Amino acid sequence: MSGFRLLEGKTAVITGCNRGIGKAVLETFVAHGAGVFACTRRETAAFSEFTRLLSEKHSVTIIPLYFDASNTTELKTAVKQIAASGLPVDVLVNNAAIGYNALFQMSPPGKLKEVFEINFFSPFILTQYLVKFMVRQKSGSIINISSTAGMDGNEGQSVYGASKAAMICWTKVIAAEFAKSGIRANSIAPGMTGTDMILCIPEVIRGKIPTGGVKRIGQPSDIAATALFLASDLSAHISGQLIRVDGGLP
Amino acid sequence: MTNDEKYRQLFIATFGVTGEALPGLAYQGVDAWDSVGHMELIAGLEEMFNIMMETDDIIRFNSFTIGYEILRKYDVRV
Repeated sequence: MSGFRLLEGKTAVITGCNRGIGKAVLETFVAHGAGVFACTRRETAAFSEFTRLLSEKHSVTIIPLYFDASNTTELKTAVKQIAASGLPVDVLVNNAAIGYNALFQMSPPGKLKEVFEINFFSPFILTQYLVKFMVRQKSGSIINISSTAGMDGNEGQSVYGASKAAMICWTKVIAAEFAKSGIRANSIAPGMTGTDMILCIPEVIRGKIPTGGVKRIGQPSDIAATALFLASDLSAHISGQLIRVDGGLP
Repeated sequence: MTNDEKYRQLFIATFGVTGEALPGLAYQGVDAWDSVGHMELIAGLEEMFNIMMETDDIIRFNSFTIGYEILRKYDVRV
């Protein structure tokens, strides 16, 4: 891929960048020339150093932003920092999420609210703010990281799955509403992927890995590659779509 | 250019209306002020006056006239 950078000159906002899929998306995007606002909840020396080295390696700008997206004040402060930078927002990747696995009857209301707060309300509100940058530019790509749990109705995933299903529907709606403004919106539905969140996946589903599909678990880089495609002009005519990235597992 | 002139010019540029039409102009009163046009207007106002509007105010911003009241809430002198 050296010398062939699909996101040269673009700026992306990526949430949940400190690990897993978000970190892989960050690495992939900067390797393809994007400047990135790398969002995480907490500032750590390790993440600051990681972004500094990554920035130097690929000669791009990475601006770490630390905020809790469920805190409106912190979220607005972050958006103001983006606005003050004067940089465009060409791509938004709503990735930050929490996993949760419990049977329907064992899912307390507090957990339901917490999961929806982080997995759906926060990206919804962040996008309300950032899409205005794209409206001004009359271009942009919004990529929502959903889950196959939002499509399949797996046992134990009524809360997490519903939050991701909400995201899938919302993505289609904003794709329709902002099409006239030149803004695209698509979802990615990762299947089992090698991140911390796999611990939230029920055993019965994890048990399918050895025999199903391509017979391996997905890697964060698999999801990042799909996000790269949706962020780039290669997908200029694709909007309102949901791409399942699960290795063909049944 | 004063803030009031900027405000008026943005409406004229965004919706393709004349200055005379502005006082009675309301959301969906002209074809261009649809939901997409509304977001273009809000985005333009936010950039022009360096503000960030609450969603409730974006919804309430349904006429040229009420826009003055909302902008003043954000300390924009119009």
